[in-house]
Amino acid sequence: MSYVLKRLGFYLLAFWASITLNFLLPRLMPGDPVSRMFAKGGAKLTEEQALQLQQLFGLDDRPMWQQYISYIKSMLTGDMGVSISRFPSPVSAVIGSQIGWTILLGAVALLIAVLLGNLLGIIAAWYRGGFIDSVFPPLLVFLGSFPYFWLAMAGLYVFGTGLGWFPLRHAFTAGIVADWASPAFLGDVAYHLVLPASTIVLVSLGGWALGMRNTMISTNSEDYIVMAEAKGLKRSRIMLRYAARNAMLPSVTSFGMSLGFIVGGSMLTEVVFAYPGVGYQLLSAVNALDYPLMQGIFFTITAAVLAANFLVDIVYVRLDPRVRTA
Amino acid sequence: MSPITLSRRQALAGGAIGSVAALLALAGCSTDSAESAGRLLTIPREDMGTFTRNFNPFSPNNAPMTAQAIYEPMLIFNAVRGDTVPWLAESWEAAEDGMSMTFHLREDVTWSDGNPLVAQDVVTTFDVQLKTLGGYDYLDTVTAEDDHTVVFTFSRAYSVALYELGQQLVTPDHVWSKIDDPAKDTNENPVGTGPFTEIANFQAQSFDLMPNPTYWQKDKVKIPGIRMLAFAGNDGANLAAINGDVDWAPQYMADIQTAYVDKDSEHRHYWFPGIGSTIQWTLNTTKAPFNDPAFRKAVSQVVDREAVCQTGMSGYASPVDPTGMGEGFADWKDPEALASPLCTYDVSAAEKALDEAGYTKGADGRRSNPDGSELSFSISVGSTSSDWLSVAQIIVQNLADVGITATVDSPDWSEVTSSLENGSFDTAVCWSSVGATPYTYYQSAMSVDKVKPVGEQTFENYHRFGDQEATELLGQFAATFDEDEQKEICKQIQARFLETWPVIPLFPGPEWGAYTDVNFTGWPTEEDAYASLSTRSTTTVLILTSLEPRA
Repeated sequence: MSYVLKRLGFYLLAFWASITLNFLLPRLMPGDPVSRMFAKGGAKLTEEQALQLQQLFGLDDRPMWQQYISYIKSMLTGDMGVSISRFPSPVSAVIGSQIGWTILLGAVALLIAVLLGNLLGIIAAWYRGGFIDSVFPPLLVFLGSFPYFWLAMAGLYVFGTGLGWFPLRHAFTAGIVADWASPAFLGDVAYHLVLPASTIVLVSLGGWALGMRNTMISTNSEDYIVMAEAKGLKRSRIMLRYAARNAMLPSVTSFGMSLGFIVGGSMLTEVVFAYPGVGYQLLSAVNALDYPLMQGIFFTITAAVLAANFLVDIVYVRLDPRVRTA
Repeated sequence: MSPITLSRRQALAGGAIGSVAALLALAGCSTDSAESAGRLLTIPREDMGTFTRNFNPFSPNNAPMTAQAIYEPMLIFNAVRGDTVPWLAESWEAAEDGMSMTFHLREDVTWSDGNPLVAQDVVTTFDVQLKTLGGYDYLDTVTAEDDHTVVFTFSRAYSVALYELGQQLVTPDHVWSKIDDPAKDTNENPVGTGPFTEIANFQAQSFDLMPNPTYWQKDKVKIPGIRMLAFAGNDGANLAAINGDVDWAPQYMADIQTAYVDKDSEHRHYWFPGIGSTIQWTLNTTKAPFNDPAFRKAVSQVVDREAVCQTGMSGYASPVDPTGMGEGFADWKDPEALASPLCTYDVSAAEKALDEAGYTKGADGRRSNPDGSELSFSISVGSTSSDWLSVAQIIVQNLADVGITATVDSPDWSEVTSSLENGSFDTAVCWSSVGATPYTYYQSAMSVDKVKPVGEQTFENYHRFGDQEATELLGQFAATFDEDEQKEICKQIQARFLETWPVIPLFPGPEWGAYTDVNFTGWPTEEDAYASLSTRSTTTVLILTSLEPRA
């Protein structure tokens, strides 16, 4: 229990540090939101309008420390303010309307990559030097080393434009009514998910497979595996329940980390496939110097990463008895 | 933890994959709700990854088409032809003394909820506009003389007011007078006078605009509706255009002839009239040597604008003439000013001028300032503007040819903009101001009223140059409503522009626009320039009321 409490204290500290950074970083960037808007419009605004906009957005010119205090206060109460680039929508509404798609895409891709990658890793290590072991790891490393957007665009070009198997854009067909109870709509959503999700899976698969394969190989040389073999247990039983279970630990850690990063969105996928989500939103918030929205998104990511890490810590206590005494 | 965990995970995986497959099988049978009405005019929006349901015309980031299809102005200024189209107002006149202006509204206009358009609507519109976004510092009062007559009085004679007041989007009094905080209202179900006011099926990445049931030019609305699609960048929008999924492609596309038009040259066309703001090489006139007009004039002749447009801008732009004004202002240009050699590429003349002004070559072939100090500076361009970057590189090369050392500095646009705004830059490739008359351009280029000291934030006149004589001429221009007189004054302003040469104009900014007439016909073209191909201009409504489905 004291272990968990200690971890909790650490997370609180990390949380404070990161929201403070969230506050500082956007304010260190040059310019202000109105001049960004002005530059984008190519001087179609008049100077009077620009000044009025600064007022409308309630841009703060109080001293930094006062801004900081009210920032901390509003973060703790969950009030993230009003977005500037989406004025007058509140930040929570902007994030809320996108985060569902982000999580859907991220979670589907992550789950498939983790399951498939680990399975490949287990099999490759168990049948070392076999077909899977000699073909997949190099192939996956090859795929994973592609610049990600290139792979996404190639996928879009071949399977979308060329063969016409998959839609080119968006989370579902334009013009159909979003009805989550209708199987036709769910089918449409899944259909639109295939290309973006599989490009993410292809790129990340190698990491999972290789990591698992390496720990699995060292586990395989442990005495208890030899012992299990000597006792004549079934090969598949030794592979999955003796070796794989113990080799799983590092994978669980990275899974937890990745889980947290899901909410950050996959920006390049969103841009290439015009998929809705937080990643592109963050990019445009940075471009527009939309402080409240940037802070809101960073806050969400920070909170999710820390929560996921905390979960992993707790799971570790269950998985690995050594942690409990440490 | 029991061994069951793993098998449960496997089961889950199997289940997930199975259900995805099942869903895929179903995907073929999704239906389109609006398809029964016929094909909708499909327009991409390349800089919004998702839409927010905000149709507030007073909001700076409202949903696309708010200002084009839903709300309408009293008059429309067509920048390509330089003419004015009466819209909600059928006529207008200025008082003799120029201190007031009267607009006569059409009597057959109704709002999309059935109420008639009255003068009070215009009065409330300006009320709300002044309260939320401001502007119109010359405006004194707005009054409804009778149901269809609105009178504006000014605190000073200001002729440019016609276009500014006339192009304000008119909103209904019976809606907006009841909204407490108009700046923060998202106006989800707008009531407008425009051709397409009914929002259908609003989703994060697409929405449909259906015809206004009570539109005042009903016979001109021939298309069944508009569908907007969201894209998180030019690439996605371009792909949709190339694939033929959208009818209109208003975004920038590199090598548009090969990438887009050649795929279906019978139906696809592009047209980039130079009616945007003039793109110029802005020199910070608070620094030496840019404070020397002789230097500015000489380096202007060093720039090969033909190469700038052909190579830098891929031939999408044409060189500017010495008046600095765009293509829509042909009537205003003084033939004498047009004959000036300041925008002509002439290396020997430039070298001579530089020698005479004291920027002489040293033994190493490099020029130095008249006081002997080193002559070198940077040209700033935002790193994302690849076309302007190559423009800057051409200028650097041109300068090197005459012995001047310049370098391209390409940080993020935010950094460039902030150095422009506070006056710390050397030189930059950037935009200028553009309006319905040359007044806007010359005011921001030369008026002392627009000059702020270095260090103070400014949004116009980044080069920080003011000329007293030009300012007086501009004042006279604004004070007269007689167009012939304005043209006379404008000639003198142009002469002053050539005399002082505050900035180095390069080319009028092209207004991007491409379309396919596979589904709809009646698009504006260079021959029939009733509007530009922009989807964000006041002229867009002219296109929406001209297109018809292909039979």
